[in-house]
Amino acid sequence: MDWTIWVEWLIKSLFVVFALLTGFAYLTLYERRALAKIQVRIGPNRAGWQGLLQPVADAVKLIFKEELTPAKADKLVFFWAPIITMVPSIVIAAVIPFGPTTTLFGRTIVFSVANINVGVLFLMAVASIAVYGIVLAGWSSNNKYAMLGGLRSSAQMISYELSLGLGFVTAILLGNSMNLHDIVDAQRNVWFAVVQPVGALIFMIVTLAEVNRAPFDMPEAEQELTAGYHSEYSGMKFALFFMAEYQKMIAISMIAATLFFGGYREFWFLKDTFLSVDAIWNIGPWQFQAWFLGPIYMLLKVVVLLFFMIWIRATWPRIRYDRLMSFGWKVLLPLSLAVVFISAVGVLVAQQFDNNWYLAIIPIFSSVAGLVAVGFVDQALRRKSYASH
Amino acid sequence: MSIDLILFLILAVVAVATALGMLLSKNAVYSALFLVLNFAAIAVFYLLLGAPFIAISQVTVYAGAIMVLFLFVIMLLGAETLAPSKVLRGQGWAAFGLAVVLVAETVYLLVSRHAAVGVIARPDAFLNTMDSLREIGKALFIQYLLPFEVTSILLLVAMVGAIVLTRREKGG
Amino acid sequence: MATPTTTATLDLAARFPGAVSADARPGYKGWIVEKDKLIEVATAIRDEFGYDHLTAVTGVDYLPEGKMEVVYHAFKTTGGPVLTFKVQVPRVDPVEVPSVTSIWPGAEFQEREAWDLLGVKFTNHPDLRRILLWEGFEGHPLRKDWKEAFYEEDAKPFKSRWPEGKHVMAEEKNPFKDNINFPKDFDPEQWVPEGEAALYGALARYQVQEGSLKTDHIVINMGPQHPSTHGVFRAAVTVDGETVVSLKPVMGYLHRNHDKIGERNTFLQNMPFTDRLDYFNSMSNNFGYAVAVEKLMNIQVAERAEYIRVIMAELSRIQNHLVFIGMLGNDLGMMYTPALYAFEERELILDIFEAVSGSRMMCNYYRFGGVVRDLPEGVLEKIKGLVFERLPVKADELDRMLTENEVFVARMKGVKVIDAENAIRYSITGPVLRAAGVPYDIRRADPYSIYDRFDFDIPTRPNGDLMDNYLLRLDEIRQSLRILQQAVKQIPEGPVMTGKPQYQVRVPAGESYGRVESPKGELAFYVVSNGKPNPFRYHVRPPSFVNITALEKMCVGTKIADFIAILGVIDIVLGELDR
Repeated sequence: MDWTIWVEWLIKSLFVVFALLTGFAYLTLYERRALAKIQVRIGPNRAGWQGLLQPVADAVKLIFKEELTPAKADKLVFFWAPIITMVPSIVIAAVIPFGPTTTLFGRTIVFSVANINVGVLFLMAVASIAVYGIVLAGWSSNNKYAMLGGLRSSAQMISYELSLGLGFVTAILLGNSMNLHDIVDAQRNVWFAVVQPVGALIFMIVTLAEVNRAPFDMPEAEQELTAGYHSEYSGMKFALFFMAEYQKMIAISMIAATLFFGGYREFWFLKDTFLSVDAIWNIGPWQFQAWFLGPIYMLLKVVVLLFFMIWIRATWPRIRYDRLMSFGWKVLLPLSLAVVFISAVGVLVAQQFDNNWYLAIIPIFSSVAGLVAVGFVDQALRRKSYASH
Repeated sequence: MSIDLILFLILAVVAVATALGMLLSKNAVYSALFLVLNFAAIAVFYLLLGAPFIAISQVTVYAGAIMVLFLFVIMLLGAETLAPSKVLRGQGWAAFGLAVVLVAETVYLLVSRHAAVGVIARPDAFLNTMDSLREIGKALFIQYLLPFEVTSILLLVAMVGAIVLTRREKGG
Repeated sequence: MATPTTTATLDLAARFPGAVSADARPGYKGWIVEKDKLIEVATAIRDEFGYDHLTAVTGVDYLPEGKMEVVYHAFKTTGGPVLTFKVQVPRVDPVEVPSVTSIWPGAEFQEREAWDLLGVKFTNHPDLRRILLWEGFEGHPLRKDWKEAFYEEDAKPFKSRWPEGKHVMAEEKNPFKDNINFPKDFDPEQWVPEGEAALYGALARYQVQEGSLKTDHIVINMGPQHPSTHGVFRAAVTVDGETVVSLKPVMGYLHRNHDKIGERNTFLQNMPFTDRLDYFNSMSNNFGYAVAVEKLMNIQVAERAEYIRVIMAELSRIQNHLVFIGMLGNDLGMMYTPALYAFEERELILDIFEAVSGSRMMCNYYRFGGVVRDLPEGVLEKIKGLVFERLPVKADELDRMLTENEVFVARMKGVKVIDAENAIRYSITGPVLRAAGVPYDIRRADPYSIYDRFDFDIPTRPNGDLMDNYLLRLDEIRQSLRILQQAVKQIPEGPVMTGKPQYQVRVPAGESYGRVESPKGELAFYVVSNGKPNPFRYHVRPPSFVNITALEKMCVGTKIADFIAILGVIDIVLGELDR
């Protein structure tokens, strides 16, 4: 191994880590301002122009806050839980491609920290590890609210991981690869969200549950469990949980963008124009590929996806816990199975007849399946008998 | 020493230490956490052997799903520090004896078959590509289809059984 | 216009000769029941005479006569005047009266309150513990011979506070500890709150059946510091997983003995004091107290003032319901969005309160015989703009925003709060009762002020679930707007006060029970005067406190998240719950 590969890794890792950290800071501001707009107020606008320094002020405040450890807490686990939560939220971004493969300084550069062939599985593995921090925080705090929050979240995340995994499978089937670069490249002509709209929708719903965002924010559930698993945390330890949540939001949006919305690739209407990431720009004597558009498209898509998360938080109440579970097991899981099945059949048929237009049966049939599921939920809501007690 | 060997030695120490920690800790939550670390170390072994698919499956399935369920159950029952249940007489010694036998067998096999197998071939050329997944898939769904389906039915039956056992009658 | 309370239609004395006699004291009405016959008579009152709704239970300590009296006020949910009956017992401890909780379970908390504050021991009460005061409290403060710490005089204005050049604070005259009563052998360092054990003991213990799987139950204390208990309210909840198995409300963290302070104050001094009960609706509180005292004084309210009163009370109801809907969204985890939309409208209503009374929340606007001052110029136009243009649109906007929201509906629909039969048994009043399908609204059932002149409906909803409770509030906002639209058109010119404003009103001896339909339910004041400048007894019957009696009934079997929503739907305010 020559030393340049270490330099390349270092630069890419630093880029991803800094992108996530500053992204987290400004996501909090973005969320607060967006929520404020939705809620007919102004939001933080005092620190710096348009409140741009607000994240700095928040960070300073959190650093100087007193850290408390409950007397009967399990000190060791209590200390490690926020760290265990924080690490996967950064690590998960390692395999996400944020630009096309290109040649720079005579080297072939792949724009992801680790271009591994089982990238999708890696996402799955890290996502499944992420629950530990929350569970352990809840357990080690020696607090009933925290404990309930931890238990809720572990049950919730395990349940929704199944549908999440099936969402990955859908993308793998359509992309015919587990490598995220290949999956993005396969969306050169059409986004998978168009081919498999229901799968994309399920994926987005499930990711909300995976990152414990409203309306699935059971583990925190302020109104019921005060603050759930992080009731007892303060200062920087709390800040770590906070960071982890927002970084997970960013990471999960990046994943959704990669799997279903064309990742770093340009929007479909920019294909074959000079704004495509494959385009070769000739400026004066220089000739280079427009690879730097990749991160920009990625950012745009992530910002839009994040806005949906914020929008949902502002407008929807929290789903009750038992309903959440039955929704996950009785609606989402069968529907994702159906979606995977339909995708597989569609891909097979298209291969058989060697005509990609046959892929159209995927959106048609999966939409039908989705509508049937919606119909069932609607029926269940209408039919609901009045519980007597 | 190659970097792989250094990694292997460190991981071996970690794996053994966490396994011992799992056995010896008094607190069930700590035991579970040691086991998770152990699984993670094993997963890295698989990576070293050039089998990323198995490595990551190990993390996802064992560390990610099964151990979370373990933790869940431990916490739900409040069984962190239960007193040790009744021990069969001589259980410890029996276990020790069996372990010795197992180690002896393994060592014997390694030594005796060494010549036949040679250095364990690194299958990276084959496994570290998308082809490995295809091969695994083909093996599972064509060659071993019946055992695979039987296993899944077994799991289903176990699940149904668990649900039936714990189901409370309505209004009860 | 005080409604005459008459008992002419019903002659209890004839029905129970020897056991019941008419209350013959001047200024008093109702019946005096023999203590031993109370259960029999009460059963007949409920079953034969149809007074199914026992709204108020309280006591009076007639120290000069050496008697303790427990006063019951019963109504028919079909409407009509009050039936007052009383039990008199000698003032010798233990003062024992049979509990009527077996007939009207809604009396449970009120009897506990009477035990707590007056020391009336209700035999056969299911759970007779102190309710508002802490467990280590010595004595029963509403007894006339009980003296509080730093006691000065029986009645205000205190001489030490009277501006005569010198001004000595009671606290300086009485150094700390000299006059604070502790129970015998009390050592704060050693004291273990027995009440806690009693409280947890009162939570029904789940019996694990032999052979079935063992399940651990967790006792969770929701509150007193909790984001969704609407103040320092505490509920000790036993949960089986997420399901509520049993629940006991604990209150009194905000207790200040409103009744006792009210007895010290002069009649007029109590007017601003009522603001502090349900601090969202000081106008309604003023209204209730004014109605009660005006009944005693037997005076007519100025015509224009009646209209102003109704306008203010209905505006208050609208802003209360707006905040209710907003905060309900919050309780369901809606992250303040509906709450902030609701607060925007509330601010406009509070602007009007500020314009007429000078204060946004603690209005102190009503006076006996009228209101304190006329509407300032331009306020009526503002009110017209609100009730004809802005508020109807905004109510529809909230309606659209929430009623169609799938998750909101999923959370609200089918989660039963209480059914009609139990709601009546548990003395529930207000929107919760109407959402259970009982069309009982004091503005119609027993009209006060000038509500009989307006054309409006009493909305009800059939199911009594959370969704119905929410929809009912929207209906009520619309009905209040109807009343307001008529009132601002009809309001006449004229004086806003009968007679001259005075600091010291003369209130003839007697008792009166004045009640209004506050936004949260029946707000009633039971006032006893002995002709002196201060009320002899001043009792508040707050809707929050009585509605919370059925909380356990409502919540058992629901999920924890539903408990939060149900508590939100009852719409408690700790200012009047704890008093």
